[in-house]
Amino acid sequence: MNQPTIGALQTRRRMGWAHICRLLGFVGVALFFISAFTPLPNMLSRWFDTPSQLEPAKAIVVLGGGVSPDGVLSNISMRRALHGILLHRKGLASLLVFSGPARDGGPAEAEVRAQLARDLGISPGVILTEADARTTREEALHMRALLQARGVRKILLVTHGDHLARARAVFERAGFEILAAPAQKLSSRVSKPAGRLRLMRRIVTELLARLYYRIAGYL
Amino acid sequence: MEQVFILALVGSTSVGAYLVGAKGLGLSGTGIRRAVSKMLECLGTTLVFLAINITVAVVAILAARVLTRGFVSLYSAADETLLVLSLIQGLAFQWWRDLSAPWPPNFSRR
Repeated sequence: MNQPTIGALQTRRRMGWAHICRLLGFVGVALFFISAFTPLPNMLSRWFDTPSQLEPAKAIVVLGGGVSPDGVLSNISMRRALHGILLHRKGLASLLVFSGPARDGGPAEAEVRAQLARDLGISPGVILTEADARTTREEALHMRALLQARGVRKILLVTHGDHLARARAVFERAGFEILAAPAQKLSSRVSKPAGRLRLMRRIVTELLARLYYRIAGYL
Repeated sequence: MEQVFILALVGSTSVGAYLVGAKGLGLSGTGIRRAVSKMLECLGTTLVFLAINITVAVVAILAARVLTRGFVSLYSAADETLLVLSLIQGLAFQWWRDLSAPWPPNFSRR
Protein backbone atom coordinates (compact mmCIF):
# COMPACT_ATOMS: atom_id res chain seq x y z
CA MET A 1 0.00 0.00 0.00
CA ASN A 2 1.29 3.42 -0.89
CA GLN A 3 2.17 5.68 2.06
CA PRO A 4 1.10 9.30 1.57
CA THR A 5 4.13 11.57 1.02
CA ILE A 6 4.89 14.51 3.34
CA GLY A 7 3.80 16.85 0.56
CA ALA A 8 0.45 15.05 0.23
CA LEU A 9 -0.10 15.24 3.99
CA GLN A 10 0.70 18.96 3.99
CA THR A 11 -1.72 19.52 1.11
CA ARG A 12 -4.44 17.58 2.94
CA ARG A 13 -3.86 19.60 6.12
CA ARG A 14 -3.89 22.81 4.06
CA MET A 15 -7.20 21.84 2.46
CA GLY A 16 -8.69 20.99 5.87
CA TRP A 17 -7.68 24.38 7.23
CA ALA A 18 -9.05 26.12 4.12
CA HIS A 19 -12.35 24.25 4.47
CA ILE A 20 -12.72 25.22 8.15
CA CYS A 21 -11.86 28.86 7.37
CA ARG A 22 -14.38 28.98 4.52
CA LEU A 23 -17.05 27.60 6.82
CA LEU A 24 -16.16 30.14 9.53
CA GLY A 25 -16.15 32.91 6.95
CA PHE A 26 -19.60 31.87 5.76
CA VAL A 27 -20.90 31.84 9.34
CA GLY A 28 -19.34 35.28 9.91
CA VAL A 29 -20.96 36.76 6.79
CA ALA A 30 -24.32 35.18 7.69
CA LEU A 31 -24.15 36.58 11.25
CA PHE A 32 -23.22 40.00 9.89
CA PHE A 33 -26.24 40.07 7.57
CA ILE A 34 -28.58 38.74 10.24
CA SER A 35 -27.34 41.35 12.74
CA ALA A 36 -27.37 44.33 10.38
CA PHE A 37 -30.37 43.62 8.16
CA THR A 38 -32.89 41.70 10.26
CA PRO A 39 -34.74 42.66 13.49
CA LEU A 40 -32.92 39.98 15.50
CA PRO A 41 -30.88 42.52 17.60
CA ASN A 42 -34.12 44.42 18.31
CA MET A 43 -35.85 41.26 19.54
CA LEU A 44 -32.83 40.30 21.66
CA SER A 45 -32.69 43.80 23.19
CA ARG A 46 -36.31 43.53 24.36
CA TRP A 47 -35.46 40.26 26.07
CA PHE A 48 -32.31 41.79 27.56
CA ASP A 49 -33.72 44.91 29.20
CA THR A 50 -34.88 45.12 32.82
CA PRO A 51 -38.13 47.03 33.47
CA SER A 52 -38.21 49.97 35.88
CA GLN A 53 -39.45 49.53 39.46
CA LEU A 54 -39.62 53.13 40.63
CA GLU A 55 -40.67 52.99 44.28
CA PRO A 56 -39.38 54.77 47.38
CA ALA A 57 -36.10 53.38 48.72
CA LYS A 58 -33.44 54.36 51.24
CA ALA A 59 -30.82 55.36 48.65
CA ILE A 60 -30.29 55.87 44.94
CA VAL A 61 -27.07 54.19 43.83
CA VAL A 62 -25.68 55.35 40.49
CA LEU A 63 -23.11 52.97 39.03
CA GLY A 64 -19.98 54.14 37.20
CA GLY A 65 -19.85 54.60 33.45
CA GLY A 66 -16.49 56.19 32.72
CA VAL A 67 -14.73 59.55 32.89
CA SER A 68 -11.87 60.90 30.79
CA PRO A 69 -8.58 61.91 32.48
CA ASP A 70 -9.57 65.57 32.01
CA GLY A 71 -12.75 65.04 34.01
CA VAL A 72 -15.35 64.80 31.23
CA LEU A 73 -18.06 62.23 31.97
CA SER A 74 -18.78 59.66 29.25
CA ASN A 75 -22.26 59.75 27.71
CA ILE A 76 -23.18 56.63 29.67
CA SER A 77 -21.92 58.14 32.94
CA MET A 78 -23.74 61.43 32.32
CA ARG A 79 -27.06 59.70 31.52
CA ARG A 80 -26.84 57.60 34.66
CA ALA A 81 -25.92 60.59 36.82
CA LEU A 82 -28.78 62.73 35.46
CA HIS A 83 -31.24 59.86 35.93
CA GLY A 84 -30.12 59.47 39.55
CA ILE A 85 -30.47 63.22 40.14
CA LEU A 86 -33.99 63.23 38.63
CA LEU A 87 -35.04 60.27 40.80
CA HIS A 88 -33.73 62.12 43.84
CA ARG A 89 -35.64 65.26 42.84
CA LYS A 90 -38.80 63.12 42.65
CA GLY A 91 -38.22 62.27 46.29
CA LEU A 92 -37.75 58.53 45.80
CA ALA A 93 -34.86 58.33 48.29
CA SER A 94 -33.08 60.61 50.71
CA LEU A 95 -29.52 59.56 49.84
CA LEU A 96 -27.86 59.89 46.43
CA VAL A 97 -24.73 57.77 45.98
CA PHE A 98 -22.35 58.12 43.05
CA SER A 99 -19.79 55.49 42.14
CA GLY A 100 -16.83 55.73 39.76
CA PRO A 101 -13.05 55.79 40.07
CA ALA A 102 -10.49 58.19 38.60
CA ARG A 103 -8.67 57.34 35.38
CA ASP A 104 -5.05 58.05 34.52
CA GLY A 105 -4.55 60.62 37.24
CA GLY A 106 -7.69 62.63 36.50
CA PRO A 107 -10.53 63.41 38.92
CA ALA A 108 -12.70 60.57 40.21
CA GLU A 109 -15.89 60.00 38.22
CA ALA A 110 -17.90 59.90 41.47
CA GLU A 111 -16.60 63.33 42.48
CA VAL A 112 -17.33 64.86 39.06
CA ARG A 113 -20.90 63.54 39.27
CA ALA A 114 -21.30 64.75 42.86
CA GLN A 115 -20.23 68.23 41.74
CA LEU A 116 -22.76 68.04 38.89
CA ALA A 117 -25.49 67.12 41.38
CA ARG A 118 -24.51 70.00 43.67
CA ASP A 119 -24.52 72.39 40.71
CA LEU A 120 -28.02 71.18 39.88
CA GLY A 121 -29.23 72.03 43.34
CA ILE A 122 -28.91 68.77 45.30
CA SER A 123 -27.94 69.41 48.90
CA PRO A 124 -24.30 68.33 49.55
CA GLY A 125 -25.41 66.63 52.76
CA VAL A 126 -27.35 63.89 50.95
CA ILE A 127 -24.62 63.00 48.43
CA LEU A 128 -22.21 60.14 49.03
CA THR A 129 -19.37 59.03 46.75
CA GLU A 130 -17.46 55.79 46.28
CA ALA A 131 -14.39 56.25 44.08
CA ASP A 132 -12.40 53.03 44.57
CA ALA A 133 -14.53 50.32 42.94
CA ARG A 134 -13.52 49.53 39.36
CA THR A 135 -15.90 46.71 38.42
CA THR A 136 -19.59 46.02 39.01
CA ARG A 137 -18.73 43.42 41.63
CA GLU A 138 -16.38 45.78 43.44
CA GLU A 139 -19.10 48.43 43.37
CA ALA A 140 -21.47 46.01 45.11
CA LEU A 141 -18.90 45.13 47.78
CA HIS A 142 -17.84 48.73 48.43
CA MET A 143 -21.48 49.90 48.56
CA ARG A 144 -22.16 47.24 51.18
CA ALA A 145 -19.40 48.69 53.33
CA LEU A 146 -20.59 52.26 52.73
CA LEU A 147 -24.37 51.84 53.00
CA GLN A 148 -25.17 48.89 55.20
CA ALA A 149 -23.32 50.57 58.06
CA ARG A 150 -25.94 53.33 57.69
CA GLY A 151 -28.77 50.81 57.78
CA VAL A 152 -29.50 51.08 54.05
CA ARG A 153 -30.72 47.87 52.43
CA LYS A 154 -33.35 48.87 49.91
CA ILE A 155 -31.84 50.82 47.01
CA LEU A 156 -32.80 52.13 43.62
CA LEU A 157 -30.03 50.87 41.34
CA VAL A 158 -29.27 53.17 38.41
CA THR A 159 -27.38 51.77 35.44
CA HIS A 160 -28.16 50.97 31.81
CA GLY A 161 -30.89 48.45 31.01
CA ASP A 162 -28.58 45.82 29.54
CA HIS A 163 -26.26 46.00 32.57
CA LEU A 164 -28.99 45.88 35.20
CA ALA A 165 -29.55 42.13 35.41
CA ARG A 166 -25.88 41.43 36.20
CA ALA A 167 -25.59 44.42 38.52
CA ARG A 168 -28.78 43.43 40.35
CA ALA A 169 -27.49 39.88 40.89
CA VAL A 170 -24.19 40.98 42.45
CA PHE A 171 -25.86 43.67 44.59
CA GLU A 172 -28.44 41.17 45.85
CA ARG A 173 -25.58 38.82 46.71
CA ALA A 174 -24.06 41.71 48.67
CA GLY A 175 -27.25 41.86 50.73
CA PHE A 176 -29.20 44.67 49.10
CA GLU A 177 -32.87 44.72 48.13
CA ILE A 178 -32.91 46.11 44.60
CA LEU A 179 -35.37 48.29 42.76
CA ALA A 180 -34.34 48.56 39.12
CA ALA A 181 -33.99 52.08 37.72
CA PRO A 182 -32.57 51.79 34.22
CA ALA A 183 -31.09 55.09 33.03
CA GLN A 184 -31.63 54.08 29.45
CA LYS A 185 -33.04 50.98 27.84
CA LEU A 186 -31.43 49.39 24.84
CA SER A 187 -33.40 50.91 22.00
CA SER A 188 -35.47 48.19 20.37
CA ARG A 189 -36.57 50.55 17.59
CA VAL A 190 -33.18 50.95 15.90
CA SER A 191 -33.56 50.24 12.19
CA LYS A 192 -30.32 51.49 10.65
CA PRO A 193 -27.83 48.68 9.94
CA ALA A 194 -24.99 50.41 11.82
CA GLY A 195 -27.27 50.97 14.83
CA ARG A 196 -28.30 47.31 14.82
CA LEU A 197 -24.65 46.25 14.70
CA ARG A 198 -23.89 48.48 17.71
CA LEU A 199 -26.89 47.00 19.51
CA MET A 200 -25.69 43.46 18.76
CA ARG A 201 -22.20 44.35 19.98
CA ARG A 202 -23.57 45.59 23.31
CA ILE A 203 -25.70 42.46 23.71
CA VAL A 204 -22.77 40.14 22.94
CA THR A 205 -20.42 42.10 25.23
CA GLU A 206 -22.91 41.91 28.11
CA LEU A 207 -23.53 38.21 27.46
CA LEU A 208 -19.77 37.56 27.67
CA ALA A 209 -19.59 39.64 30.86
CA ARG A 210 -22.38 37.55 32.40
CA LEU A 211 -20.56 34.38 31.34
CA TYR A 212 -17.36 35.65 32.98
CA TYR A 213 -19.21 36.57 36.19
CA ARG A 214 -20.81 33.12 36.25
CA ILE A 215 -17.49 31.33 35.70
CA ALA A 216 -15.81 33.49 38.35
CA GLY A 217 -18.61 32.60 40.79
CA TYR A 218 -19.85 36.19 41.21
CA LEU A 219 -23.42 35.37 40.13
CA MET B 1 -35.71 51.98 4.26
CA GLU B 2 -32.03 52.67 4.92
CA GLN B 3 -31.16 48.98 4.91
CA VAL B 4 -32.89 48.51 1.55
CA PHE B 5 -30.94 51.48 0.18
CA ILE B 6 -27.62 50.06 1.39
CA LEU B 7 -28.36 46.57 0.05
CA ALA B 8 -29.51 48.00 -3.30
CA LEU B 9 -26.41 50.21 -3.48
CA VAL B 10 -23.97 47.38 -2.81
CA GLY B 11 -25.97 45.01 -5.04
CA SER B 12 -25.84 47.41 -7.99
CA THR B 13 -22.11 48.17 -7.63
CA SER B 14 -21.46 44.41 -7.36
CA VAL B 15 -23.36 43.78 -10.60
CA GLY B 16 -21.42 46.68 -12.18
CA ALA B 17 -18.11 45.20 -11.02
CA TYR B 18 -19.13 41.79 -12.42
CA LEU B 19 -19.97 43.33 -15.80
CA VAL B 20 -16.69 45.29 -15.91
CA GLY B 21 -14.78 42.15 -14.94
CA ALA B 22 -16.55 39.79 -17.31
CA LYS B 23 -16.98 42.06 -20.37
CA GLY B 24 -14.30 44.74 -19.95
CA LEU B 25 -11.44 42.76 -18.45
CA GLY B 26 -12.36 39.38 -19.90
CA LEU B 27 -12.29 37.62 -16.52
CA SER B 28 -13.62 34.06 -16.39
CA GLY B 29 -17.20 33.76 -15.14
CA THR B 30 -16.44 30.55 -13.26
CA GLY B 31 -13.51 32.23 -11.48
CA ILE B 32 -15.92 34.28 -9.39
CA ARG B 33 -16.97 31.17 -7.46
CA ARG B 34 -13.36 30.51 -6.55
CA ALA B 35 -12.95 34.19 -5.65
CA VAL B 36 -15.95 34.09 -3.27
CA SER B 37 -14.56 30.90 -1.77
CA LYS B 38 -11.18 32.61 -1.23
CA MET B 39 -12.91 35.67 0.28
CA LEU B 40 -14.75 33.42 2.78
CA GLU B 41 -11.46 31.73 3.61
CA CYS B 42 -9.83 35.11 4.35
CA LEU B 43 -12.79 36.15 6.53
CA GLY B 44 -12.65 32.85 8.39
CA THR B 45 -8.94 33.34 9.05
CA THR B 46 -9.76 36.85 10.31
CA LEU B 47 -12.32 35.41 12.74
CA VAL B 48 -9.76 32.88 13.98
CA PHE B 49 -7.31 35.73 14.66
CA LEU B 50 -10.07 37.76 16.32
CA ALA B 51 -10.94 34.88 18.65
CA ILE B 52 -7.27 34.33 19.50
CA ASN B 53 -6.69 38.07 20.09
CA ILE B 54 -9.70 38.39 22.40
CA THR B 55 -8.80 35.23 24.33
CA VAL B 56 -5.17 36.32 24.79
CA ALA B 57 -6.33 39.83 25.79
CA VAL B 58 -8.69 38.46 28.46
CA VAL B 59 -6.02 36.11 29.85
CA ALA B 60 -3.39 38.90 29.86
CA ILE B 61 -5.75 41.36 31.59
CA LEU B 62 -6.73 38.83 34.25
CA ALA B 63 -3.06 37.87 34.77
CA ALA B 64 -2.10 41.55 35.06
CA ARG B 65 -4.80 42.05 37.69
CA VAL B 66 -3.47 39.15 39.74
CA LEU B 67 0.25 39.83 39.30
CA THR B 68 0.32 43.63 39.53
CA ARG B 69 -1.62 46.29 41.38
CA GLY B 70 -2.61 47.91 38.11
CA PHE B 71 -6.12 47.62 36.75
CA VAL B 72 -7.12 47.18 33.13
CA SER B 73 -10.80 46.87 32.29
CA LEU B 74 -11.94 43.69 30.53
CA TYR B 75 -13.87 45.98 28.19
CA SER B 76 -10.47 46.77 26.62
CA ALA B 77 -10.67 43.33 25.00
CA ALA B 78 -13.79 44.48 23.15
CA ASP B 79 -12.09 47.39 21.37
CA GLU B 80 -13.25 47.79 17.74
CA THR B 81 -9.68 48.20 16.49
CA LEU B 82 -9.11 44.51 17.28
CA LEU B 83 -11.43 43.61 14.40
CA VAL B 84 -9.47 45.69 11.87
CA LEU B 85 -6.12 44.46 13.19
CA SER B 86 -7.39 40.87 13.02
CA LEU B 87 -8.43 41.48 9.41
CA ILE B 88 -4.89 42.66 8.61
CA GLN B 89 -3.46 39.59 10.35
CA GLY B 90 -5.90 37.28 8.61
CA LEU B 91 -5.23 38.66 5.12
CA ALA B 92 -1.46 38.60 5.61
CA PHE B 93 -1.53 35.03 6.98
CA GLN B 94 -3.81 33.83 4.20
CA TRP B 95 -1.62 35.34 1.49
CA TRP B 96 1.48 33.92 3.14
CA ARG B 97 -0.10 30.45 3.05
CA ASP B 98 -1.18 30.83 -0.56
CA LEU B 99 2.15 32.16 -1.81
CA SER B 100 4.04 29.44 0.06
CA ALA B 101 1.94 26.62 -1.38
CA PRO B 102 3.67 24.32 -3.87
CA TRP B 103 2.41 25.07 -7.36
CA PRO B 104 1.14 22.24 -9.58
CA PRO B 105 3.75 21.27 -12.20
CA ASN B 106 1.62 22.42 -15.14
CA PHE B 107 0.57 25.71 -13.48
CA SER B 108 1.92 28.98 -14.82
CA ARG B 109 2.49 31.70 -12.19
CA ARG B 110 2.23 34.37 -14.87
